[in-house]
Amino acid sequence: MNSAVQHAAAAGLPASGSSPAGRAAGAGRRGRRDPRAVRWGWFLWPTVAVSFVLLVLPQLGFVWMSLHADLGLGQTGDVVTLANYREILSDPFYLRSIWITLYLSVATVVVVVLVGLPTAYALARMSPLPASILLGLILTTSLITVVIKLLGLNIILGSSGMVNAALLGLGIASAPLQLVNNEAGVLIGLVQYTLPLFVMLLFSVIQTIPRSLEEAAEIHGATRLSIFLRVILPLAKAGILAGSLITLNMSMGAFTSAILLGGGRVHTMPVLIQQKIVQSSEYGIGAALSTVLLVFVFLLNLAVGAWAGRSGGRARR
Amino acid sequence: MASVSLRSVSKAYAGTAAVSDVSLEVAEGEFVVLLGPSGCGKTTTLRMVAGFVQPSAGSILIGGDDVTAVPPRARNIGMVFQSYALFPNMSVAENIGFGLRERRVPADQAKRRVDELLELVQLSGRGGASVEELSGGQQQRVALARALAIRPRLLLMDEPLGALDLKLRESMQIELHRLQRDLKITTILVTHDQQEAMSLADRIVIMKDGRIQQVGSSQELYDRPANRFVAEFIGKNNLLRGRVVDTGAEGSAVRLAEGGVVRILGVVGRVGDFVDLSIRPESILLGTTPLGAANVLTGTVQDRRFLGNIVHYFVKTASGGTILVERPAVDPGAAPGEPVAISWEPDGAVVFPVGEASPGRGAPTA
Repeated sequence: MNSAVQHAAAAGLPASGSSPAGRAAGAGRRGRRDPRAVRWGWFLWPTVAVSFVLLVLPQLGFVWMSLHADLGLGQTGDVVTLANYREILSDPFYLRSIWITLYLSVATVVVVVLVGLPTAYALARMSPLPASILLGLILTTSLITVVIKLLGLNIILGSSGMVNAALLGLGIASAPLQLVNNEAGVLIGLVQYTLPLFVMLLFSVIQTIPRSLEEAAEIHGATRLSIFLRVILPLAKAGILAGSLITLNMSMGAFTSAILLGGGRVHTMPVLIQQKIVQSSEYGIGAALSTVLLVFVFLLNLAVGAWAGRSGGRARR
Repeated sequence: MASVSLRSVSKAYAGTAAVSDVSLEVAEGEFVVLLGPSGCGKTTTLRMVAGFVQPSAGSILIGGDDVTAVPPRARNIGMVFQSYALFPNMSVAENIGFGLRERRVPADQAKRRVDELLELVQLSGRGGASVEELSGGQQQRVALARALAIRPRLLLMDEPLGALDLKLRESMQIELHRLQRDLKITTILVTHDQQEAMSLADRIVIMKDGRIQQVGSSQELYDRPANRFVAEFIGKNNLLRGRVVDTGAEGSAVRLAEGGVVRILGVVGRVGDFVDLSIRPESILLGTTPLGAANVLTGTVQDRRFLGNIVHYFVKTASGGTILVERPAVDPGAAPGEPVAISWEPDGAVVFPVGEASPGRGAPTA
């Protein structure tokens, strides 16, 4: 073996360190680094830098701004105060906004899971060609800008739109249903915004569950329901949880759906923040609202993550 | 335990036949192996018995009951899958007890049964382990235990040992054979490995292109293959083309394309018909001077492979064909390049008429 090949083989070693033996060897070397080891950690720095400049700095600016009272006409006071937070957490109007945002988002998650899970399952169990065509369609529609999709929804959901015409024509409804410019409209918009992503995510999760597991369950006596509850659901749980969290986060922060299908009448937090900052230039309270939303969503994710980690650990034991 | 009957079972996918008119009787407690190359329909046949595939025609009976329209979960079958298909979200014991829980067996009773099976497959004390901690051989045992836990009427196995390395596969074959004997459970196993089939089966079913080619014990298939396919698929074989030149009470004479006239037992076709002689490598004698048997060809040793207890000689005949001869290593044999005579007894050849599916009776049963 010539020396160049030897060198390449040695340099390749750390990359294959995912095997238990490799990990053990790596642990033994801790402290004295192999000078030829690739320091993959360095690849994180560009992302950290970009995130810091584009995300952390502006957020810090926001947090700082939220600690100052609004003086009107876009001016904020010089005194550092928690007055904005006190107002948000005591005023029923703001509390209601937090509540609406939360329950619309949770409702979106529920609908998306109920609709998306069977869809993803059916796609994953289809033969590859039709499945990839249908997934391609889902991907394409999800790439169309949300404004265009929502305007389309506005038209068909309106009081003289297709949906109401059909409901009236079939005698299901006696008067046009109010499907836009209210919470129902926002919910429909949020579902349509998040559903494609959830389906695509769960498709790839369910695809990793071998068909033979279902057959093994079936031949040893399991009903369809039992196969779903004892095999598919436990194995897809992490994926469902991840998809639900993504859906929840997207819904909590969704502005376009809330404003276009809520008609400005459904005051979710993103809508309020936009109104405060862009329309009435109350930067202090707007910044405080967005900080509250950020912290709230962050804590929610932490809580779900901690819960999932604990129950996951229990299942493995 | 139950018998299994397949009655003219066929399966076609989009007009292409995967299994054609398969009829098979498996007796209670019998170990039957479906053997054939990939795409021969053996797996489809097994999956029809399991109920995962609905036959296009024909019926399947288990223990005398027609189960053709019965869903898999109601057939009371245990099955071992090719990749084991163990549930990764469950422990070893939970995997084994899966079918018991589905049958609502009381917990204490189920636990006893699971412990029994853990002992049976020599995994006592590992019930709490995650299946991912186990080696391939151990996973295989868990899959077997899960299939047996429900006391099925019938055990199905789809290439159960295919994922194991050779050593482990051989020891699992012995164990599987012992278990099947002890439990007297009717078993159908699918494999493409003829050695595995021969070491496990009471009877082997050889399939090709969706049809059964021959059913019989290992020895029957080896000694009296029904057709060329079986002769070539089971063990090593020399196929020599020839033409019948004489038929008589003592047997027939065939002029080989390799040169020379040889005698065969019995009467195959008429004078002038083409036939194929199938001769096992170990039925052929080899020496530097013609010795012993009735039928003699001459040639040159082209290659010699020492395989421990036996030696393979590749002998080039005058007409250019190559004949494989297998001799014990203790025989004097010959060196590469040496001219040799090879010979065999008339009963050493099985004869197939050319261009016909039906078997010839070249070598009548002794």
